[in-house]
Amino acid sequence: MSRPLAARSSIAPAVDLDVDLDVFVGPFDLLVTLILKDEVDLWEVRVSHIIAEYVVRLAETGQFDLESTSQFVVLIAALLEMKSRLLADDETGGELEELDAAEAGEELLAGLVRYSQYKGAAGALRELWSRHANRLYRQVGLPARFLHAGDMNTRLAPELLARGLAPLLREPAVPDVSHIADLAVTLVRELRRLRALLAESGPLTFASVAPRDRLEKAITFFALLELHSRGEVTLDQRHAFGEIKITPLGSRPALADAAG
Amino acid sequence: MTTAAVLRYDAVSDAYVQMEDLARHLEALLFLAPRPLPADELAAACAAEASAVRQSLVELQSEYGPGRHGMALAEVGGGFTFRVESDCEAVVRRLTGSRAEEELSPALLETLSVAAYLQPTTRAEVAQVRGVSSEWALAALVERGLIEESGRADTPGAPILYRTTPRFLKLFGLRALTDLPPMAEFALSAGDVEEIRTRLVANAARRSP
Repeated sequence: MSRPLAARSSIAPAVDLDVDLDVFVGPFDLLVTLILKDEVDLWEVRVSHIIAEYVVRLAETGQFDLESTSQFVVLIAALLEMKSRLLADDETGGELEELDAAEAGEELLAGLVRYSQYKGAAGALRELWSRHANRLYRQVGLPARFLHAGDMNTRLAPELLARGLAPLLREPAVPDVSHIADLAVTLVRELRRLRALLAESGPLTFASVAPRDRLEKAITFFALLELHSRGEVTLDQRHAFGEIKITPLGSRPALADAAG
Repeated sequence: MTTAAVLRYDAVSDAYVQMEDLARHLEALLFLAPRPLPADELAAACAAEASAVRQSLVELQSEYGPGRHGMALAEVGGGFTFRVESDCEAVVRRLTGSRAEEELSPALLETLSVAAYLQPTTRAEVAQVRGVSSEWALAALVERGLIEESGRADTPGAPILYRTTPRFLKLFGLRALTDLPPMAEFALSAGDVEEIRTRLVANAARRSP
């Protein structure tokens, strides 16, 4: 798929599709040729549009030719690769180009050297900061004319102030939170449920008592830990991510009742 | 400038010497100025030659030199301003209750050094040098008034450019950005670079099968 496009350009593409784009109208094969010759700017070509047209045509004709469809997929993949390289080049200065180990090492070294230099500069700044940051310089307050708030009062009509304030005093609409579901399980309820289950049927597995929902499952687990820390159950898991066996400690029913 | 009638005591010569009118005018301007005043601004206000102002500023600086008054004339943040002498700060703080500047964390100092030396610079450039995202650090520096936005770069995405503020100069005791210690001072020695290289090679060897 990622073979260079140029290597295939000699093979006549057998893709029978007319495309209709902003920059080009005509057979897809011709478009590919023009892009390879740099006569159409790949920037301007909406590849997704071409794919959509192809899919629509396939659906309309109902003729599925494996050979030609494969050819199309290969060409589209190559176009996408070229285009993503164009985009990536622009933002990272060609960083995506593959470097060999030595080059990558040199680049990393240069980066580290550069960084150390700024780290040194930061040290010098710290030194300057400790000497100067807390010096007291001449400070001047607001000029007297800005301190006379009385002038403002006489010039502003009270109605004007009221009109200005009114929109601020209006109660905003209460936002609709109906789409936020209430938490279905609470820790207390879950503790009760687990205790009841354990009293009823003895040892259980976590999988058998845990609800489907991830959040609810987390609360069940939390409740389980709580039971364990209170000494009401023992937990046993043979291997990581394995089944968790919950065994009630029947000898301490009084504690369970008291905690409930 | 006419010679002045004001006498000031000169401790060095143990005699009363005359202080020039121009120096007194500058003193008055600096007394009122809310921010460091550059020499050319002072010259314009006094309608005096820049060279004469420079000379008078030197005179004022020796008058308000270390240990003579409760304040000294400092050149900082692109101009001249009065500054309380270090040994008088405690007294002043007792009156004003002004709080000490909050320390800068290593991450903030590092980000600030990149921004100061590379300015105007972008978030991406700072992140590239530091090797970590520096969005939060830049925002914190903006909030503390040490850097500010200065337009947008003429590159794809038009990222925001940052530069240091006059407050930065003041807090670091710099007259101008040219006072920043030269970057060359922090260049690693050839030996250090070699050491890093050796470490890198060793790391690479450990990782490759």
